[in-house]
Amino acid sequence: MTNRSLSLLLEFDSRAKRDEGQSPVFLHRRDRKFALTCEKQNIKPTPQRWIAHMNQLSGEGADTESSSKTLRFWSRINRGFATFGAVFGILTMIGLLFYDGGQRINITVIIAFVAFQLLLALFTTVQSLLGWQPWKALLQRFQKNMQQSVFSKLQPLLMAKAAHIGGLCFALSGLATLLVMVVLQDLAFGWSTTLNTSANSYYTLVSVLATPWSWAGAAPDFALVEATRFFRAGETQATINPNVWGQWWPFVAMFWLTYALVPRAILYVLTRFLLHRKANALLNQHASMHALLYRMETPSLDTGNESNDAKDLPNTNTALSVEALPNANIVLYWAGATSIDSLETSTETSPFVAKIGGRMSLAQDQTTLNELTQRLSQEKNAFVIIVTRSWEPPTGELEDFITKAEQQWPSKSRIFLVPVATDPKTAPNNQLIQQWLRFANRCSASFVSVSLLQNNKNDDDTSQDSTI
Amino acid sequence: MNNSHTTTAPQFAVVGHPNKGKSSIVATLSQNDAIAIALEPGTTRAGQAYPLSVDGKTLYTLVDTPGFQRPRRVLEWLEAHSVSASDHSETLRAFVVQHKGDGRFTDECELLQPLLDGAGIIYVVDGSVPYNAEHEAEMTILRWSGRPSLALINTIGTEDYSDTWQDALKQFFQVVRKFDAVRAPFEQHLSLLRAFGQLEPSWEKALDEATHFLSQQRIQRRQQAASIIAKALRDIMLYQESRTLTELQAANIDDKRLADDLRESWYKRQRQREQDLRLDIEHLYQHQRIRRQEAQLQWHSHYDLFSEDSRENWAVSKRYLATAGFGAGAVGGAGLDALTLGTSLGTGALVGGLLGAAGSYFYGDKLVLPALNIGMLGNGMKKATFGPVQDSQFAYVVLGRAVDHWWHISNRNHAGRELLDLAPSDNHWLDGLDKTSRLVIQKCLDRCRKQKTIDAELHQKLCGALLQCMSVFDDWRLNRHY
Repeated sequence: MTNRSLSLLLEFDSRAKRDEGQSPVFLHRRDRKFALTCEKQNIKPTPQRWIAHMNQLSGEGADTESSSKTLRFWSRINRGFATFGAVFGILTMIGLLFYDGGQRINITVIIAFVAFQLLLALFTTVQSLLGWQPWKALLQRFQKNMQQSVFSKLQPLLMAKAAHIGGLCFALSGLATLLVMVVLQDLAFGWSTTLNTSANSYYTLVSVLATPWSWAGAAPDFALVEATRFFRAGETQATINPNVWGQWWPFVAMFWLTYALVPRAILYVLTRFLLHRKANALLNQHASMHALLYRMETPSLDTGNESNDAKDLPNTNTALSVEALPNANIVLYWAGATSIDSLETSTETSPFVAKIGGRMSLAQDQTTLNELTQRLSQEKNAFVIIVTRSWEPPTGELEDFITKAEQQWPSKSRIFLVPVATDPKTAPNNQLIQQWLRFANRCSASFVSVSLLQNNKNDDDTSQDSTI
Repeated sequence: MNNSHTTTAPQFAVVGHPNKGKSSIVATLSQNDAIAIALEPGTTRAGQAYPLSVDGKTLYTLVDTPGFQRPRRVLEWLEAHSVSASDHSETLRAFVVQHKGDGRFTDECELLQPLLDGAGIIYVVDGSVPYNAEHEAEMTILRWSGRPSLALINTIGTEDYSDTWQDALKQFFQVVRKFDAVRAPFEQHLSLLRAFGQLEPSWEKALDEATHFLSQQRIQRRQQAASIIAKALRDIMLYQESRTLTELQAANIDDKRLADDLRESWYKRQRQREQDLRLDIEHLYQHQRIRRQEAQLQWHSHYDLFSEDSRENWAVSKRYLATAGFGAGAVGGAGLDALTLGTSLGTGALVGGLLGAAGSYFYGDKLVLPALNIGMLGNGMKKATFGPVQDSQFAYVVLGRAVDHWWHISNRNHAGRELLDLAPSDNHWLDGLDKTSRLVIQKCLDRCRKQKTIDAELHQKLCGALLQCMSVFDDWRLNRHY
């Protein structure tokens, strides 16, 4: 359970770090899609499922390496502690039960040692709760390349867990050694203290200590306590049946079991529980978890920005340039272009002036074309000026008119398109002139040219002074 | 037929004369800056759909279309083939059927097809040029389709003829709205979309939903932007450039050169981080191809992160620093009071506050860049480090530039193609920031200076404070300087 929580936290953290480089739009779309798929399948989109889904999509060899590496590292630490605890437990118990036939094995020493073990176990738990990491520096030397951020918050508990595993193995191997020693040797237990303690007080102490297993009959009776007091400086009490010295072993075994082994086991389970809870809390508080849940809950909005034709722009280059305005007897106004008096009065003979395009009908345009066919064949210089609104882009209709004119009019004819600005006294914007030049080029450069009104010429950098 | 209209998402064909900003309207509303826009007739050669979808469900679709090329000829054909007003729509369909593949009417077929498929009409004109009655043929053709219609007066140039356009367009269209595709604020985008929804009762719900989601997305983006800026601010303020030198290398390089090398690398990395931040913010707002004024500029330019101008323009006042410093110091001092169980009667907070204020006041005077630090390692090797920056003013420079860039991006429409000029401003906009936010920012900066991490909770608080900064900047820009 704990490993699963740890693994989940580590994998989530690792994936969140990889997602940092992704665009928010992509992440939103991806996670929302996952949530909707879960909804369709009537399952809750939990972080576990999300990670499983991500790993599944990434296929074989999904990047869970860093998390498993960290877990493997801690597993090695735990095994190390377990081995060390087990070996140390055997040696300690052999030491405690050392009996050379002269002195008794002092029950008081065993009680004190077990009490010390209990104290150590409690201290380990308290320090982990306080967040103290006794061997942090050592850990950092071995953990240089491992992910630190979120996992470092779990280290106090992980250290406590390792210590409890060590303690548990210590207690287990110590108990096993005791039982083996009981079978293999004739152990002589007794109790001794420098303090002026009566057998009665000692009996009270051991009775209280033995309360948890009093039902099992492993508590020593007063006679045993009274009979097994010894003094190192005194003579051996040869009057006591040697069998009595060995009657303490059930108490020692139960005492070890109850005060060394069981507390360690309980604290180990507690630490595992705390670790699991902390890992879950860290996962739930993870900044990326909030973002993930938000992405899964919030509908993903696509505004229609997938289409991309930014580079598909028309060719805006043209070899043509503005030509000088000729003296022409024919002036046509295209699609509502404003009348220009100067054009109509510049010739000696009365000019032909007509409106074409725009609100005029196609039939009227055709009539104008026909009239001009006749007139142009009689003109010496067959120039036709078509005045246009510079800001209205040239359309297919104007192109149709010019095409017909080219087909119908005498071959010497030429059209001069004159784009005029909203204020005819000013020159049109250069960008607008360019579109007319490109249009002329598309139609027929030998038949169509672009000119500007005389008073517009000076401020246009594309104009080219040539006389026709 | 009616059934199909009510069950499918509404479509809007954006139509009009060539070069009147149809693509600009679509680019802004679909938040797509990859739509070809040019002042050249014929830039759009085929109809292109831009659906807005939520969780894969399309709420509406905008269709960008080419402009009318031969409206008089189309209208002549229609009139010649129609008997009465009742057959107008059918005649229009017949026209499209008959002229599909005819090169002369490609554009007309492209723009009329969506209308025949049930799309609403969004007719776009340019309000910066005089009204032209010559457009009436186009409007008449559109009226023949019988589809719900709305006219949009877009403004491409500087002059304004929108009133005359408005009067004329009212004769042909149900609704007439002004909308500047390049400059219209986000609220106007939503208002326009709602207007689209009111063209037909069955469209209203979808468009209301769409505007709701767009508003949500806007709020969400703002929060994400705050988080992105917070992360960048933390990275920049924590960054340390370090180099380990062998004994030989250390002997061959003097400290000054080493300092210069490290400083250059440090600057380079900080500039790169700022550029990354800019790209992150731009991508968040779906701007993929912004050209920035500052990109090409070098060390001594007005726009450089470390230039004197940057400091003068974006650094906060001494008073601001002293206030924030007092707050941060007082927090530390209050901790002392807590430890003495209040027996210090708040003296801790007061003394801490005064120390913090004094430190900030004097220390924050200049943009002190991080000092070089050269230390000996155990095995005869040297380690030289540069950073993290110790001066809070530097963080305010970064913050000011980041918020300014965010503001420009969040208020930039996707039809905009002009260069993004991030010219520095000349005021201390942070003066309007509330005390709590100032304290949070200062606390985070202090932690960075001390190379301490910012945990998730503090990061959230920093994001909140940056959101406040954004609001303050928004007000400052909109009310006083824009």
